[in-house]
Amino acid sequence: MTLLEVNDLSIRYAIDDGSAVHASDRVSFSVDRGETYGLVGESGCGKTTLAKSLVHLLDDNGYIESGNVWFDGTLPQWADENGDAKQSVIDDPDKPVREDGKTDLAALTNKQIRDMRWRDIAIIPQSAMNALNPVYKVGDQIVEAILRHEPQTTKAEAHDRARDLLERVGIEPDRADDYAHQFSGGMKQRAVIAMAMACSPDLLIADEPTTALDVIIQDRILEELEKLQDEFGVSILVISHDISVMAEICDRMAVMYGGKVMESGRTEDIFGETANPYTLGLKNSFPTITSADQDLVSIPGTPPTLRDPDPGCRFRERCPFAIEECHAEHPPMYDVADAESTGRLREATDQRAHGSACYRIDELEQLRTDALNEDTWTEQRIESR
Amino acid sequence: MTRISGKYLAKRIVVSYLTLLVIMSLLFVLLRSMPGSFITSMISSGMTAEQIARIRETWGLNEPLWRQYLNFMINYQTGNFGRSPTYNTQVWDLMIRRMPRTLVLFGSTFIIGFIVGPLVGMYLGWWRGSRKDKSIFSTSLLLYSMPSFWISWLFIWVFNYELDLLPSAYMFTQFPEFQWTAFTVMRDVLYHIALPIMSLTFIGWVGSMLIMRPTMNQVTDEGYVFLARAKGLSERTVMVKHAARNALIPVATGAVVSLAFLIDGSVIVENVFNWPGMGQIIVSSVLNRDFPVAQATFFMLAVLVVVMRLLTDVIYTYLDPRIKFGEGE
Repeated sequence: MTLLEVNDLSIRYAIDDGSAVHASDRVSFSVDRGETYGLVGESGCGKTTLAKSLVHLLDDNGYIESGNVWFDGTLPQWADENGDAKQSVIDDPDKPVREDGKTDLAALTNKQIRDMRWRDIAIIPQSAMNALNPVYKVGDQIVEAILRHEPQTTKAEAHDRARDLLERVGIEPDRADDYAHQFSGGMKQRAVIAMAMACSPDLLIADEPTTALDVIIQDRILEELEKLQDEFGVSILVISHDISVMAEICDRMAVMYGGKVMESGRTEDIFGETANPYTLGLKNSFPTITSADQDLVSIPGTPPTLRDPDPGCRFRERCPFAIEECHAEHPPMYDVADAESTGRLREATDQRAHGSACYRIDELEQLRTDALNEDTWTEQRIESR
Repeated sequence: MTRISGKYLAKRIVVSYLTLLVIMSLLFVLLRSMPGSFITSMISSGMTAEQIARIRETWGLNEPLWRQYLNFMINYQTGNFGRSPTYNTQVWDLMIRRMPRTLVLFGSTFIIGFIVGPLVGMYLGWWRGSRKDKSIFSTSLLLYSMPSFWISWLFIWVFNYELDLLPSAYMFTQFPEFQWTAFTVMRDVLYHIALPIMSLTFIGWVGSMLIMRPTMNQVTDEGYVFLARAKGLSERTVMVKHAARNALIPVATGAVVSLAFLIDGSVIVENVFNWPGMGQIIVSSVLNRDFPVAQATFFMLAVLVVVMRLLTDVIYTYLDPRIKFGEGE
């Protein structure tokens, strides 16, 4: 069952001179209940912006331009005893709640969304190491979250729960009375994860959960997340630039570039049946531990600035396979399986199916072979095409 | 508070004590390097040489200077501040009478200033760059550049001379038509203290605001402020509980520094408002070469600053759990 359905979401950052940064441009994806979904891409491709925008946590100059964020859950005052939206709320045209009970988070006011933050969607921020307030005890900070959303809980109960949560992520419950500076980096990260589970949210957004951690700790954190997922049935939206981490934990994922989704689908499809030039380039530039003497091939050039971008494909400047068509308009998502079997381009109708935003996926075999060749990715080659 | 070890505290107290000894020595030397001498406050042109010699004898001025210095240091250790020739009382009695009046005036301005300043700084830092911030900030800088005595005169002119609302001098009504009871005393003091407090706090809050504003602005970018928002807390809770609480730490340092400046101002403002506190006798005792009083008043101010410094350590450990005093000593 779908938990989160993001439709054509565009996010912009206003700039003083009147232009705008198109940090996310008509992005669509959906996350099922209990699933781990990944957003992968280079720094500055809009993945963090996208995640923050779901719960209105953008910086002051950021705003949602258009699109919907349908979430299976609603405001406490709009819900019946089962937590589903009341029929009267669904029928009310002024309330952004759909037939199937999903609420459009993008249409909520900032005051309304505050009731859904952490209770329905918790976020583990990029700088989780600095996310604990240095002047309060770690346990008290977890208690604060519990009492915010469940005011009927007594303080003693909340404290018990906080200690229990810490224990679940492998921290001694007595450490609840410690301050953040008494924790190691990995412990801080796990404490934030424990805090994220405080109100048992339906969706957990993990923004670069393993960056700044060494590989051993990284692995433990990932295990921790998977364990929690089994235990609580929470869906996880992971954001990372590290495709090896993503390959390990994600069920499905979207590869983002320049504020656009370039390729999306099941993880094994994306890595096994790669169908987009950008993903091919990204794969080339990551080392694998199994092949010893490996030359990494990077994608020449730098990501676009996204400031009032041209209409063409966002990747065309760096793409060795770009053709005339790519300059006119950014390609829609095409159904990969369809293109491979029929050799024709058909826009993807199912968001779950393996899709790729590229005009040349009808020549996939050729692209894949060429992409493996180092010479394809030299600057001269790209400029001469 | 348990994070200050007893050993550290003992060490700090010893250092504070030594600091005071140094200040006393400086006081002794500096006062005696002024033109004129102690004896001038007690003699008049009609006195005979014999009378003057007797005065010198009673005040111990015949002894060599090093002996006088030793006497002074020893007397202060035993709490003997001596006698004032101009006020003709024990200096200690004078202190006891005057000190509370100064503390009432400056304690209240200090407290009001350090409530208003950080509060305003919190809002301005949180909304830094907004139109409100810009206008309030520039106004406060304008205030900050005004001398306190000038503001005092301005307030006297407006509230006393023009509007005739508040008295411009003294602590009590001079010839009251009412009975002195606990209530009327309180009311009368409040009535008289209003104008000095107003003129002092009018600019007094700016100093702490200037410290609070930039630190507040820095903490808004911290991860814990983001997380506090992500938890669904209201903007107000995020600002006060998570951001301001952290931004307060440097303000504590500012408080001690500003105390020294506050005492500076006390001398001026007490004279402008004829407030019968310490500030008044500092000036008159120096002008009259009344060394016992001058020494004692300056000494009391030094004690105040040293004690406040000691207190900040305690306040620090309370504000910031990362700070520990006396670890590994």
